[in-house]
Formats: sequence, C-alpha cells, structure tokens
Amino acid sequence: MRKYLNEARLFLIGLPVFLWTLIPIWHLTVLSFSPKDDVTAGTWLPSQFTVQNFEIIAGQKHYYLNHFWQQFGNSLFIAVVAGLLTLLIATFAAFSISRLKTRGGSVVMNFALATYLIPAAFLAVPMYKVMGQYGLLNLQWSLILAMVTLASPYAIWVLKQASDKLPYELDEAAIMDGATPLQILRLVYLPLMKPSLVAIGTYALLLAWNEYLYAFLLLSKDSDVTLAVALGHFLSADDSPWNLLMATGLVYALPPAAIYYAFRKYMVGGLTAGATKG
Amino acid sequence: MKRFTRIAVAVAAAAGIAAPAMAQEKVTVWFTKGFYKAEDDALYEVIKKYEAKNPGVKVDLSLYGTEDCNTKSVGAVDSGTPPDVGFCTTYDFRVTGKWAFEGKLEDVTDIVAPLSDKFLPTTTSTTYLYNDKAKRKAYYAMPIQRQTMHFNYWKDMLEEAGFKENQIPNTWNEFWGFWCDKVQPAYRKKTGKRIFAIGHPMGVAASDTFYSFLTFAAAHNAQIVDENGKVVLDQPKNRQAMINAVKDYASIAEKGCTPPSSVNWLDPDNNVAFHNKQTIGTHNATISIAAKWLDDAKNQSLTAEQRATADKNYKENVRTIGFPKKPDGSTMTHLVAVKTAVVFADGKNKRRGKEFLAFLMQDENLTPFVEGSLGRWYPVTKGGATRPFWTDGSDFHRAKVYGQFNEYTQPFQFVYNYKFTIVNSENVWAKAIQRVVNDKVKPEQATDEMIARIKQLAG
Amino acid sequence: MLMRASTLTARTALDSTAATGHKRFNSWQMWGALLLVPYVLVFAVFVIYPVVYGLWVARNPESYARLFQDPVFPRTVVNTLIFLLVGVNLKFLIALGLSGFFVQQKRWIQALLLLFLLPWAIPSIPTILSFRFMLNPEWGLINNTIFRLFGIDGPGWLTEPTLAFASSVLVHIWKSLPFWTLILITGRLAIPTELYEAASVDGASRWQQFRFITWPALATLYLTSTMLSMVWTLGDFNSVYLLTGGGPGDQTHVLATLGIRYLRIDQLDLAMASIVMAMPLVLPLVIFMVRRLAAGEAKLAH
Repeated sequence: MRKYLNEARLFLIGLPVFLWTLIPIWHLTVLSFSPKDDVTAGTWLPSQFTVQNFEIIAGQKHYYLNHFWQQFGNSLFIAVVAGLLTLLIATFAAFSISRLKTRGGSVVMNFALATYLIPAAFLAVPMYKVMGQYGLLNLQWSLILAMVTLASPYAIWVLKQASDKLPYELDEAAIMDGATPLQILRLVYLPLMKPSLVAIGTYALLLAWNEYLYAFLLLSKDSDVTLAVALGHFLSADDSPWNLLMATGLVYALPPAAIYYAFRKYMVGGLTAGATKG
Repeated sequence: MKRFTRIAVAVAAAAGIAAPAMAQEKVTVWFTKGFYKAEDDALYEVIKKYEAKNPGVKVDLSLYGTEDCNTKSVGAVDSGTPPDVGFCTTYDFRVTGKWAFEGKLEDVTDIVAPLSDKFLPTTTSTTYLYNDKAKRKAYYAMPIQRQTMHFNYWKDMLEEAGFKENQIPNTWNEFWGFWCDKVQPAYRKKTGKRIFAIGHPMGVAASDTFYSFLTFAAAHNAQIVDENGKVVLDQPKNRQAMINAVKDYASIAEKGCTPPSSVNWLDPDNNVAFHNKQTIGTHNATISIAAKWLDDAKNQSLTAEQRATADKNYKENVRTIGFPKKPDGSTMTHLVAVKTAVVFADGKNKRRGKEFLAFLMQDENLTPFVEGSLGRWYPVTKGGATRPFWTDGSDFHRAKVYGQFNEYTQPFQFVYNYKFTIVNSENVWAKAIQRVVNDKVKPEQATDEMIARIKQLAG
Repeated sequence: MLMRASTLTARTALDSTAATGHKRFNSWQMWGALLLVPYVLVFAVFVIYPVVYGLWVARNPESYARLFQDPVFPRTVVNTLIFLLVGVNLKFLIALGLSGFFVQQKRWIQALLLLFLLPWAIPSIPTILSFRFMLNPEWGLINNTIFRLFGIDGPGWLTEPTLAFASSVLVHIWKSLPFWTLILITGRLAIPTELYEAASVDGASRWQQFRFITWPALATLYLTSTMLSMVWTLGDFNSVYLLTGGGPGDQTHVLATLGIRYLRIDQLDLAMASIVMAMPLVLPLVIFMVRRLAAGEAKLAH
C-alpha cells in the first residue's frame, strides 16, 4: 500500500513536469503537420494531418522559403567552419598554455575565461559595428569569426584542463627522443586529446548552428543568412504562414537535438555549460 | 567556398594580377526589396538600360528587407562605407533629415531643379533639407514615391453582419462608432465568432502605429511643430487637440474593438489579422492589403482555385476607402509620406551615383518602378499620376487612392524638425496610448508626459 | 566542467617539472608564443577592439544623461534585477527539487528525464516562437482552450506588461531548467548512498536527510551554479526578444535586449551607454567566477 502511495506521489510530480516540458514542443509539432487554416485555430490536434508543409519546404515553394536549401547549407557551412577554426585555435592555445607553459599563458587564460563568462548579448552591438569597419558585414565570414570568438574561450579552457591531466612524462620521453614541440603536439598530444577535441568541436558547431542574435545582426541577404535568421524573417510575412514557420523550425531543430542526445553524457560533464549561453 | 574564391580574387586584384578586371567602373546601389516581383523586375530593367547606355559602368545592386535596409544603411554611413545611392522605404521616417543635418548626403539640387516642373506640388518641399555642416538648405534627397493612410474592410463580413456599404457614415465619431458599436456586436451575434471590428495598431515597433496615430492627431487639428521646426504642441489649443486624439485613439482599444495583441503589433500584424479575417477592417498606410490579393491572383504557384479567390477578394470583397470627415466636420487632411532616395557624401562613386539617380528619375524608368508596386506607392510626378493606371477608374482601390491624393495633404513633422524621426522611432505616441490603455492614466496626463518627452527629444 | 575538475591531478608537481623544462628548451617558449598568437589575435581584433570602440562611442557624459531621461531605461534596470532574482532563484529551487526526483532509478522516471531534456537540446528560436503563438491572447492555444472550457477570455499573456514579463521569465526557466537540473543530479549522484542508508537506519526523516546529508554536499555546487546562471541569465536575449520583443510599450526589456532596441532606433551611443551601464552588474559576477574557476577548480566538485 505504502509503495503505491509513494508511486502515486511521484506521479503527481512527474505529470506536471511532463506537461510543462512537452506542451510547447507539442504545439510546435502540431502546427508543423497542420494545414494553413489551423494556424489561428488554437487546437491541440491538427484538424487534418498533413505533410504538405514539409513538401513546400523541400520544394522551396513559398516566398519565405525561396532559399531554404541555400540557408540550410549556410547554417551547416558556418557551423562546420566555425567548429573547425575554433578547434584549431583552441588546440594551439591550450597546448601552448598547458604543455609548453608559455609565459603569460595564465593571463591569456584568465582573459579568455572572462570573455566566456561575459554574456554574448553585451558584445553583440560593438562587434556588429566593428565588423562594419572591417568591411566584413554581410559576409558569412563575419558570423564565422564572431562564433569563433565566442566559442574559443570555453574551448581553450576545457582543452587546457583535459590536457593538464595528461602525464607530463610523455612529453619528457618525447623530448629525450629529440622531438620538437610541434612533433609532440602532433604525435603525443592530439591522439590523446581526441575525445575532448570531438566534444569541443561539437560544442562550437552547435553554438554556431543555434546562434540567432549575431546571425541577424551580421548577415542580411536572403541567400546569405542562416536558417535561424530565416525563421525570424517569417514574422514579417503578412500571410501568417506560421505552420510553415513551425515546420521549418522543426527541420532546423532536429539535427542539434539529435547531437545533444547522442553526446548527452559528455555534455553533462560541462560542455553545455557553454551551450546554454547562446 | 564561393567566399574563398571571392576573397582570393580580391587578394589577387589587390596584388595587381587581375588588373584588367578593375577597369570596369562600379556604382553601388542599395534598395528596399520590393513587395512584389514586378517592382524588382522594373528596377533590374532600369539597371540594364543604364549599363547599356554607359558601357564600362557596372551597377552593383543589393536588395534588403524593409527593416534591414535601414539598419544596414545606418551602419554603413556610421562606418564611412555607404553605397553611392540608397533608397530604403523607411529613410524618410528614420534618417533622411538626420543625415542631411549631419552633412552625410550629397546635394542633388542639380538633378531636382531641371525636373521641378515635372514634380507634383508638395513632393519636393519635403526633400529641401537643412545641412548643419554647410549651414544651408538644399535638396539633399530625391522624392521617388508616396503613401498615405487608408481604411480597408471586408465587404462580405460587413454584409454578413447585416450592413451595407452605403451605411458607412462619413462623419468622424459616427464612422468609428459604426464599426465598434454596431458592426462588431452584430457580426459576433450572427456568427458566434470572437472577431474584432478594427485592426488598430498600437505597437511601439511599428511605423503603422505612428502613421495611424498622427493621422488621428491631424484629424483633431493637433499641430505639433511649426514650419520652423519649433515644437508648438504645448500651446493650449494644440495640447487640448492632442488630448482628444489620444482619448479617441485609446477609446477604440478600451472598447475592445481591436484585438488585445494590437498593443504588440509589428508592421505586418494588422495585415495578418485582416487577411485571416480576425478583424473586419483596419487602417493602413498604403493599399498593400488589397494589393496582396492582386499579387496572389497573379501568382502561378498558387492553385487555380486560390487564384480565383484572391481575384474575387481584390475585385469585390476587400474595399479601400479614405478616412471620414474630421471631428470638426471639415474635410480630412491626408498625412503623406514621401519616400526618398539619396546619394551619399561618402560614396566612392558619387558622380555615377547621381547620374544613375537622374536616369532613374526619367518618366519611362520611374513609372514602371512605381507601378510595379501594384498601387502600393503613389507617384511623385505629374506624368506618373495622370496615367490610366490611376485615373481610368477601372480599379476600385487605385481610384480611391487617386482621389485622396487630390484632396488636402500635409507632410510629417520630421520634414520641419528632423529630430521627430527619433520621436517616431521611440514612438512616444504609442507609449501615450498604452499609458491610457494599459496603465489606466488619464489622457491629459499621458499627453503631458508625451509633450515633456517630445521636448526632451526634439525641443 | 564541473565534473571534470574532480579528477584534476596535482598541478604543483607538474609545474615544477615544467619549470626545469623551460630552462632547457628555450625554443619551447618561442613555439608556445607562436601557438598562442591565433587566439590572441582573435581576442584583440574581435574582443578588445570592439570593447574599446564601444567605450569610445559611449564616452560622452551627455549620452548617459539622455539614457537616464529615457523612461524605458529605469524600467529595464528594474526588470533585469527581477529577472535575475526571481528567474534564477525560482529556477534553482525547482531544479534542486526535481534533481531529487530524477535521481530515482525507476525506469519511467529515467524515460521522463530524457524527455525533460528536450527544451535544452532544441534551439531557442522555434520553441520560443511556439510559446509566442501559444500565448497569443486572441487565437493562441492556451486562451482558446480556456475559452472552450470556461467560455471566458483568458489573460493577456503577452499584452499585459506584468504578465508579459512573467511569461518571459517562465520561458527562460523552461529553456534552462533541464541543464541545471542535470548538473544538480550529477551532484546528488556523487553523494555516497551509504550515508542515506545509515541515516534511515538511524530513523532520520526525509527532511533531516536533506538537511544534514544532501544540502551540505550540494551547497557549494548549488551556489557556484547559481552565480554562473546569473551571469548567463543577464545575457538572455532570446527569451525576451523573441517572445515579447520588449513589448508592450517597451515595458519588458532587460539590459540584454536594450542595446539592440537602441540600435534599431538608430541611437548607437545610447546602445553602447546602456551596455556600459550593465557592467556594474556583469563584471563583479564575472570576476568572481573567473577567480573561482581559474583558482578553485578542484573546489567546485567537492
């Protein structure tokens, strides 16, 4: 009896949690599979289940979706390049600070940490103006570089910590064999750091894929923007294609969600401390 | 990858390897992306003709969304890298006057002057602006097209509520009372649907809001600035008129005659609500609401059935009318905005920029561009306004627009005092309305707060 | 990062080895400097210069005078403080409670945990826009349901200033709750179960177990996480901007969105000045956290 009572009590917590979590996502999904007439109907189920929205998206058959595939590609391109560049820069820096004990390294580390902690929203306006001065505004490189700027501090920090844990004797042994720092980086460091590198690359990739504020400030042409910005543009449509907006949102949300779930265990270890920042 | 190649090319060019490619002269032009394809097509055509006439000159055109166009231009002007020619449909509301004042614009008097006979009266006066750097007034912008305020309604919904079009009153209080107190309850009773009579924009971030509100203020004869740009709103007569306007504008919301979310509306949202038949009518500055259906009727990606509905909506169901007579019984003065193109002082190729602008201003180039907007924009030239497109009476909506522009018109305050661009973008008007509607303060107090803020910003 | 820190090896031993290493290999310093260059460049070009430029734009005292004149500014400061105090604390109280719920190894609870993570895994824009449509007073799902069930008009979730602001706080919590719950779950899992077993043998109540075992073990993690969350909450642009856009009547802005508002109305110096004015809130938290993370890494997990 007591066991059932306890179970019932847990259920009383579980049910609100379930509803609280899922209602907005349910709503998003329902609209994605609803015909246009449902968008202002406010119903819990589609009046008629349809995949037409996804056909329209795939065929780019709406004014706000004319560049869908291009924009999907832009999101992917920017995320991948930002991920790789972040990895490159952060690996160098972490190796330098942690293994080579470069003088001034800890100062750089502290500045990087501060950059990581200062909310990105406060850097957005100055960054936007400065990108204009550099002549990078409206070029995808501006967003890539901005994302690298925002992602590398945390990347360096995590890589530095992971790298601090590698036994120093490995380096010593390599030095005995006459290895140069670059050889140590390539032959000793990189192979051992592989798991952290994958995690950090993923972190930077997701940060860039999910970014909205910087993307809408820095890019503008329909053919240049990322999906995140394209979703925002829907709000200036006067024919309320909210079902298409939600369907596009679903398509946009699935890849990162899948990655989060696949890397869940990793991310709890702290990676997503950064991801919540965006 | 395209970026890589482009950067590589740029580097190569800088190094002198690709020197021959540099021989081509470039003129950079930024425009607002048209609402309709025909608009953009007309622009491409002008560019093609200009390039054909000036071999060796390439027009580098960028089209931006309405909001973006302005933001990007402001950013580019600030960082000293503007295009040569800019035409965004919000320049006049937001920046033309300020840029002229700060000396960011090129004097285009030499293009305007020879055309002066061709322009309709009151169009060029709005681009004769003060430059504080040069300490003189001159034509710092080029009038391209115009807009004013209209009222749209669904004829079929009106009839469903049991009313006829000829029952719509033409006097101020009766007009708004008709929609709010008669049509709305009757429609709700008939259909059981929670529909609102009027889409009444009150959002802070919408230009619709200040356009609509200032039209109300004009109807109440509230003079805000004099012709020297001095704020005169605090004079008792004007203050009282403004209080009346605030009270009047807020009352429509207080009566529950507009959707509650209109306090948050952005520019497209009154259109959205109207198209979804959430409201029976709405006021809107341009006939874009009707023109959307005309565009749909021509849109080949829609089904034949959808196109037929759109055609019927344009020709029969959606109606466009002007505002009723003022509360004092006199004829309405229409608040007209003139959309302005500019040549930037910091542009790299101003000479060609001016040349291109002059080329665009030729009737055979400007007219297709303006008419490409399906009636959304009204011409600034006599030639444009006397075309059958407007005058032959075959199109109900355009005929109404034509009629309104031939009545009394008045310009916005920012023509006399550019700081009203800030007053508008901060939207002190919407704030005053929301003070009354949301915070329940007296219209008198809301108006006094409004006047105080205006004096801070523009006094 | 909170977890990794626990396995940190003894740093001091490494440092001394490294010190002797430096003397022997001078070229190491050169390589070290060279490898730091890319990041230092990025930092200088995209962080230092923008910050200096921002401060330069906001150098004029007159900008601040105008900022303080704008009625939106004081309102925004108050909003930000409420957002921080209510948003963060409410979130952490719920997270603390839910972490206790989710540590139970029942299959359905673990399945629910997977679902519970969704808000965190999905990018903000689609879900916040979904909230925005759901909460629309005229045709949104919530008010439509209220109307159908009770025949009355629901509240103006996004049109009443107070309610609209509360809605943004809720959206913020919805989005970030899963992450912090996970952090607290891992914290709880690190507590040896023997302690609880011993306590129940001694007849300790649930509350006593929480009071004397769970809380002492979690306190540091809880407080550090709260501080970290405060910094990030200060920068939460999306929950406000995408849901209410600062409306109605610019009454629901927070400091993270105010800069963008000024940018949109072409008041660049006010945008920068408003960001500068956020610094007294941001910097102490940032400095505190940098110290904590850089020096006391090991402390975090214990």
